[in-house]
Amino acid sequence: MKLTTLRETLLNPLTMVIGVVERRQTLPILANILIQADGKKLTVTATDLEVELKASIDMVVDEPGEVTLPARKLVDICRTLPAEAQLTLKINGEKALLTSGRSRFTLSTLPVKDFPVVDKFKSPTELNLKQSDLKQLIDSTQFAMAQQDVRYYLNGLMLEIQDKQLVSVATDGHRLSYCHLDTTIASDSVQQIIIPRKGVQELSKLLSTDDEMVNVKIGSNHIAIISPALSFISKLIDGKFPDYDRVLPKKTEIKLLANKDTLSAALTRTSILSNEKYRGIRFSLSTNKLSIQAHNPEKEEAEEEIEIQYTGDDIEIGFNVNYLLEALAAIEDENVQISMVDSSSSCLLQQPKNGNCKYVIMPMRL
Amino acid sequence: MRIQALTSHLIDQIAAGEVIERPASVIKELVENSIDAGANEIHIDIEQGGKALIRVRDNGIGIAKEELKLALTRHATSKISSMQDLEQVVSLGFRGEALPSIASISKFSLSSKEQEQEYAWKITAQGEGREEIVPDSLTEGTLIEVRDLFFNIPARKKFLKTDRTETTYLDKILRRLALSRFDISFYISHNQKNSHRWLASNNIDNDAIRLRQIMGESFFDAALAFENSSEYISLSGWLAMPSFSRSQTDMQYLFVNGRPIKDRLLAHAARQAYQDVLYHGRFPAYIIYLTIDPLLIDVNAHPTKQEIRFQESRSIHDFVYRTIKQALAEVGPQELVNQNSNNNSTPAEYYKLINKKGDSVSNTAFLQKALLPLQTRESESDNHALYSSLYESFPDHSDRAEVHDHQAIIPPLGFALAQLHGIYILAENENGLIIVDMHAAHERINYEKLKQAVEEDGIPVQDLLVPEKISVSQQEADAVEFNQEVFAHIGLSIDRIGPESIIVRKVPALFKHVKLVVLIKDLLAEIINQGESRFLEQTANEILSTMACHMSVRANRQLTIEEMNALLRNMEITERSGQCNHGRPTWRQFTIDDLDRLFMRGR
Repeated sequence: MKLTTLRETLLNPLTMVIGVVERRQTLPILANILIQADGKKLTVTATDLEVELKASIDMVVDEPGEVTLPARKLVDICRTLPAEAQLTLKINGEKALLTSGRSRFTLSTLPVKDFPVVDKFKSPTELNLKQSDLKQLIDSTQFAMAQQDVRYYLNGLMLEIQDKQLVSVATDGHRLSYCHLDTTIASDSVQQIIIPRKGVQELSKLLSTDDEMVNVKIGSNHIAIISPALSFISKLIDGKFPDYDRVLPKKTEIKLLANKDTLSAALTRTSILSNEKYRGIRFSLSTNKLSIQAHNPEKEEAEEEIEIQYTGDDIEIGFNVNYLLEALAAIEDENVQISMVDSSSSCLLQQPKNGNCKYVIMPMRL
Repeated sequence: MRIQALTSHLIDQIAAGEVIERPASVIKELVENSIDAGANEIHIDIEQGGKALIRVRDNGIGIAKEELKLALTRHATSKISSMQDLEQVVSLGFRGEALPSIASISKFSLSSKEQEQEYAWKITAQGEGREEIVPDSLTEGTLIEVRDLFFNIPARKKFLKTDRTETTYLDKILRRLALSRFDISFYISHNQKNSHRWLASNNIDNDAIRLRQIMGESFFDAALAFENSSEYISLSGWLAMPSFSRSQTDMQYLFVNGRPIKDRLLAHAARQAYQDVLYHGRFPAYIIYLTIDPLLIDVNAHPTKQEIRFQESRSIHDFVYRTIKQALAEVGPQELVNQNSNNNSTPAEYYKLINKKGDSVSNTAFLQKALLPLQTRESESDNHALYSSLYESFPDHSDRAEVHDHQAIIPPLGFALAQLHGIYILAENENGLIIVDMHAAHERINYEKLKQAVEEDGIPVQDLLVPEKISVSQQEADAVEFNQEVFAHIGLSIDRIGPESIIVRKVPALFKHVKLVVLIKDLLAEIINQGESRFLEQTANEILSTMACHMSVRANRQLTIEEMNALLRNMEITERSGQCNHGRPTWRQFTIDDLDRLFMRGR
């Protein structure tokens, strides 16, 4: 294999995929990326055995071929070469030679056949979505995913394909985020998959907010999201996600309406004096008034009062302030509606109207 | 072979198998008999690790001539006569098994003189045979000689260890017995050489001497006397400071109503109490005397009576745990510095110092009184009474006032001089040099603050949106069902949802990142084994300890003298400040004497 190109041309696909390459690994081949050149196209693949990223660009090469090279070293070299530099990559036996101007780098290679790639999907479910829609679905729910929980099925984002609807749900057992998207895809059954945490985070970085279409393929063990420039494949978590519908509060008597930014700012200030370990704050509701209190082990106290729309009985309820702030950050409307049954059951945050997303938070007894 | 009744001699030998395992067991039974006979002097002679001879002589009440034969008969005893007696037994023995058992497996002789009798009588036995009772020349009490133990049971004899090892066993049991009763003198000779002389003690000065003799200098230096009592139970003894720890449990002595015992419940309570201050993998040393109404315990649980059953085991565990924990928490630099300075002083002085703890209540009462405006203090006779009562409780009050005054000038941990390599603080106090590990000390201060905050704040509880289901054994699920209150108290809500599954609905908010399955299983295991668990408290403490570590100054942080002094003052008022969260010491004292020795000054 031999290719000559501009630094930027090669760097682009490399930076897209480098995120999945772990810094430390026990399997040496995982530190490498796979470069394939077939004459018209150059494809770069990186994997951590859970997520596989593949970026390709059109490029005419001098000699077609394929090779695996140390990923980080290659990226670092390309990154530090001067802008617009012309570089040549040539494979010579077990070594790869990269030259540019007066710089010469000899890199070691590993056999291409050892590089693990995901097999073709058999009879996948396929759907086409706008990139921006998928990104919104992910970004408005992913923060609630669990991290290294023993209930492995919580360490990811659940996607559910219903008839003309796509639903994403994440929960860590304390709070839950839910978002749905209307689609044109008809389906006669409901299919649930769980994308692992790392894949979700990587995907969110790769998706852009434009209206370009992506092709989503769901196989039995993998999900693939394919755009012309990039293909993302992630393993799926094999497990049963909790029944989110049961968790969404239905009959909520207590409802209040608040300006989102005002509430968020007040919470942020109050949280400074909350216990840094469990971040407890207390809501005291009275007619059209919400007072927020926090105190910490040093016996310092914070109290904020904001105006809200509320006409029910006086009530007190405690929360982990981080859960509230993260949910508020994901709500796009100017206002937020908070509803609950009583001070000891779950609480629902959502847009006052036409919201696609719902956020459920369990209270904390302070 | 047909079923037949065993001969009485064989029955005795079988019983001996349970009670008499080695020479040390003989000593234990004989000395306990002497104690029960009201002796206050016990002479013990041993030859060849007790294999050749064990001789115990006491000045107790003795045995009447007519009863001598009966004494060697199985199930004959003077200690109890009815079930009622057994329920409230206070004597060490009561089964009536020891003497016949010993007599059946050794060359045995017993001489005894009851006070009213003109002279002593002696009975000898050799295995099966009993010989006639003959007059003897003993002046008082009872003398028992056991020669050639196991001479007629070669199988048992083979299992005896070397003389040296058997001596170690004997030594251990004798120390244990001597610790059980400070009012009895023990004279012990081994192979015709006097090896120990532990004189009876009836005051605290002599107690201290005896404690030092039996437990050794280093335990004595680290010992902290403690005392606490409630309505029906009282606890006293000595605890070794956490800095004096052992690699095994060999210096743990438990006595219940004067009876040396081995008890998992009490040992567990003590271990838990030390948990926060002891270095990982080390064991505490202590001597604990528990006095309790005999009706509330069952000592008839095991032939050797080393085990005991408590009726209210949970509350006893709790009482022991709290008492020890409190006693350890109260050790501040004041006590230690004073103790250090008194290393070379008389035990009496030392004892006053360690005894100070018990007086803390009256001490503050005195101070409060003293701070009252003058006119309310004047001319009130009951005030005078109060004062005199105070003097009674600590006769050396004037001395102590001086100490207090003195302390106002130089605090126990002294004033900071400098920082060493960004790690240690050097300070000067009355006695010499103090070296403080600054991170360790700060860590403990923060840790105690956090723990206090949690205690005052209660436990915030996080409800789970998705309750966590855990598969457990049937026994564990039962434990969940029957301990609902215990869980509620510590901020957990767990329900049983099947024969072998439970569901966790609420957890303490502090435990957000703790693996619940592991936590709950460990918790249940402890509840099942111990009847209660401090596991959650321990886990919470671990989290707080990590937080404290992050909050504390690290090595290489340059501190000003004012900052260092502030840290020293904080240490003086913080509980358990002598050890860091992991049980390592936070400070050490080097007295001028130590330093002089180092430089061979004045030699």
